[in-house]
Amino acid sequence: MNKRWLILATLAVLGAGLGQAQVFTWPQKWTVAKPGEATPGGVLVGSTISDFRTLNPFTTAEATNIPTIMANGVGLARYDPTTAQQIPWMSTGWTVSNNGLVFTFDIRKGMKFSDGQPITSKDFITTWKIQADEKVGSNAYDGWYIADKPIILKALGDYKLQATFPSISATALEQMSFTPWPDHIFGPVYAKEGADGIKKMWSLTTPPAQIVSAGPFVLSGYRPGERAEFKKNPYYGEWNKDEQGNPLPYLDGQTVLIVKDTNADLAAFLSGKTDTYAPSTVDQVSQVKQAIGAGNLKATLKVNASPVASSQFIVFNWNKADNPFLQMVFRNVSFRRAMSELTDRKAAVDLVYGGLGFPTYGSVYPVLKQWVDPNIPRYEYDPKAAAQLLASIGFRSKDKDGWLVYSGSDKQFQGKRLEFTLTTNTGNNQREQLAQLFAKTAKEAGVKVNFAPVDFNTLVGQLLAKGDNRPFDAILIGLSGGGLAWPFGQNVVPCGTNLHMYNKSGSCLTPQETLMTALYFKGNQTLDFKQRVQIGYQLQQTEAQLQPIIYIAGPAYNPAWNDRTGGNHPDSILTATWGSRETELTFIKK
Amino acid sequence: MTAYLLRRIIQIIPTFIGATLLAFIIIQLSPGDFLTQLELDPKFTPETIARFRQQFGLSEPIWLQYLIWMKNLITGNLGYSFAYQAPVLEIIWPRILNSLVLVGLATVFLYLVAIPAGVFGATRQYTLGDQVVSFFSYIGLAVPSFFFALIIIFVLLQLKFHFQVLPFPIGGMTSSNYDSLTAWGKVGNVLWHAVLPAFVIVTADIAGLARVMRGQMLEVLSQDFVRTARSKGLADRKVIYKHAFRNAIIPFIATIGGLLPGLIGGAGLVEVVMNWPGITPLLLDAVGQKDIYVIVGFLTLTTGLLMIGNVLGDLLLAVVDPRIRYN
Repeated sequence: MNKRWLILATLAVLGAGLGQAQVFTWPQKWTVAKPGEATPGGVLVGSTISDFRTLNPFTTAEATNIPTIMANGVGLARYDPTTAQQIPWMSTGWTVSNNGLVFTFDIRKGMKFSDGQPITSKDFITTWKIQADEKVGSNAYDGWYIADKPIILKALGDYKLQATFPSISATALEQMSFTPWPDHIFGPVYAKEGADGIKKMWSLTTPPAQIVSAGPFVLSGYRPGERAEFKKNPYYGEWNKDEQGNPLPYLDGQTVLIVKDTNADLAAFLSGKTDTYAPSTVDQVSQVKQAIGAGNLKATLKVNASPVASSQFIVFNWNKADNPFLQMVFRNVSFRRAMSELTDRKAAVDLVYGGLGFPTYGSVYPVLKQWVDPNIPRYEYDPKAAAQLLASIGFRSKDKDGWLVYSGSDKQFQGKRLEFTLTTNTGNNQREQLAQLFAKTAKEAGVKVNFAPVDFNTLVGQLLAKGDNRPFDAILIGLSGGGLAWPFGQNVVPCGTNLHMYNKSGSCLTPQETLMTALYFKGNQTLDFKQRVQIGYQLQQTEAQLQPIIYIAGPAYNPAWNDRTGGNHPDSILTATWGSRETELTFIKK
Repeated sequence: MTAYLLRRIIQIIPTFIGATLLAFIIIQLSPGDFLTQLELDPKFTPETIARFRQQFGLSEPIWLQYLIWMKNLITGNLGYSFAYQAPVLEIIWPRILNSLVLVGLATVFLYLVAIPAGVFGATRQYTLGDQVVSFFSYIGLAVPSFFFALIIIFVLLQLKFHFQVLPFPIGGMTSSNYDSLTAWGKVGNVLWHAVLPAFVIVTADIAGLARVMRGQMLEVLSQDFVRTARSKGLADRKVIYKHAFRNAIIPFIATIGGLLPGLIGGAGLVEVVMNWPGITPLLLDAVGQKDIYVIVGFLTLTTGLLMIGNVLGDLLLAVVDPRIRYN
């Protein structure tokens, strides 16, 4: 905790002594606005591609949802985008027991829900109980269990909360940063009717006047398929202030338009109907650029601001009992390194993403800067080196059609052609282009890649099939996400998990997999950030050696906003991770 | 007449069961289900997904799922949406109403313009006026409506860029100040938003309908009774509208059956491109996600309306055409 936080915390305690709320002060360095520049009032207009499904915070499942917009991430702790470290928010601080299992939070005093009711430990407890009830079917359910053992919360009075973890967890603070929902609304229903009662609450037809939020906004109107409107929670500003002491958010409200079509979304931004926009394709970026250049639109566009937390990759199937030749090839690390050297990542970025993208070399996406090991070996595009690697494993000569054939030590595979099918989901243009690009560079090296896209659901079925004989050769697909506290997936890295896509025999087949599994759990049970980063580096080194998955590239984050909106992030934190702005610090210029 | 009606209604029942069963099976035939998309999300454990599958009833065999759904349908329940976690009717009803506004307006436009245009073309066959109407009809037929909608959005943006005016809104159904408007203000606001999308829908349909109307009219005009009417010395106007027109529109009455489900069926991609919150964007999402009961529920509603519409159309035919009697 640096000095400034100490001073603020002291001030907050003093404030509480006088019967006022303990204030969380939003640092000036989170916005480009000059001190005192922001003016209160105005409505920020944004858009979302899919309709809202429910108002219920416990059953909501869509990416952009109403409860999340209302809460805007409010929880006991939050990330400081300038340091990527967690700082107290709805708490004034916390202590961790010596064994690293028990977290005790001091809940900030004077916080209120949008209906004026105080926020206390009861609200956190009720929210936890409902989310951790499997009958409710909440998306937050899995987070409350570590290896099937529950995290236990306990209230120690109204303003103290204790969380006991079954084992040390690197993501403990992230988990404890959950948003509380009002006990005085959900508690009685849950006590009386249980999970079924909760599921019936806060549907799209519930009048907005009944909706309550702990965050900066609360729903004020919803028109099916058209838009959701939010007004500010007047009590939020009592404990959230800027450095000049002005209450936050500055905005009176927010409107989110539901725009199903990407062209309509672009048109809405170009015509000035929406304030914020994140063009994802070259076409969209150039349209915005042109409109700004011609003076038709007063807006700011940040091209290639950062990579997004996502990447496309090729995964080879190690479980092909019915085709021992391909299984032998796919399990050979030299083959996979050769395939990585046949992947022209620069061409992928230039041709598929029109230059608006970034090459990727490992499972930690480039946007998570503090986590990416800069020294992992990279197998850059190098057809000659690839040919040598392939020759070293027995693919030395070509048949009359120009394809490599096997002439290695294993007698039973003599004369077999190096040929496999590469699949992706139909309709995803970028994936199809990446696959075709790979097939082309592979062809030049004499590797026959048959590209055959299939329906998305079929693809998922093939990819996630278990056992020693799975129904595909190679799949090109992408995953997204990766946490800031520990960016490796619990369902991805350890052997035997659902998204351990290359080998789903149920157990580790290589020493590297065993090591990576061990490192995953070790890192996930290390509370010290620096130590954890070192373990992460080691994991990435092991992964790079093994090359189980050939990472290709991912698109860029290119945020744009209308110049009537102020208070965006400075360029240093204008990334896909932190977004273009803090909504609390956003204002509409007069 | 009553016997005929009764027979038709009884015939509806097996057709209805067959149609819904077919819809149910076809949707289920495609691979995967609503939860497949979750399986690639690193946040979810397979156990959680399996539990969701159980809770949604997706782990039951298809025939049992159908029977359970049928049982609910008899009690007036169209099913439950996985994505919205709410009854299907509650989800689709507001969207159907939105579509109804748009399609209703477009249908009125359509008949108001296409029928006179067809009559005009027939009575002045091969004149310059006929050629011009035909020319535009063919263009209207040839341009896909979603593309036409994109062109309109482009034109609007250019107007905004060069003259800083927007004669019509770019997409949407209501303005942001809608809730503060008077009742008439609200009606006007929705109409203002609906004009362009309705125009786009109508251009494609006008062409077809006007062509058919022109053909019908030409056929009737060449028949003996028209010549007789003319030779009696009746005014041209009377011959055309009283004698020829009444006969020419009979085939249109027969298509009224399709009008009813069409009204709630939405305006297709125009709704998506012009951002009209109708039923189409919702259905596209449901199909993409395999939110099966939304799809089947909606199909059931339209199938039911189509069958009722067909009966109504047949009854109307008897009213208009004295040659038709149901006994």
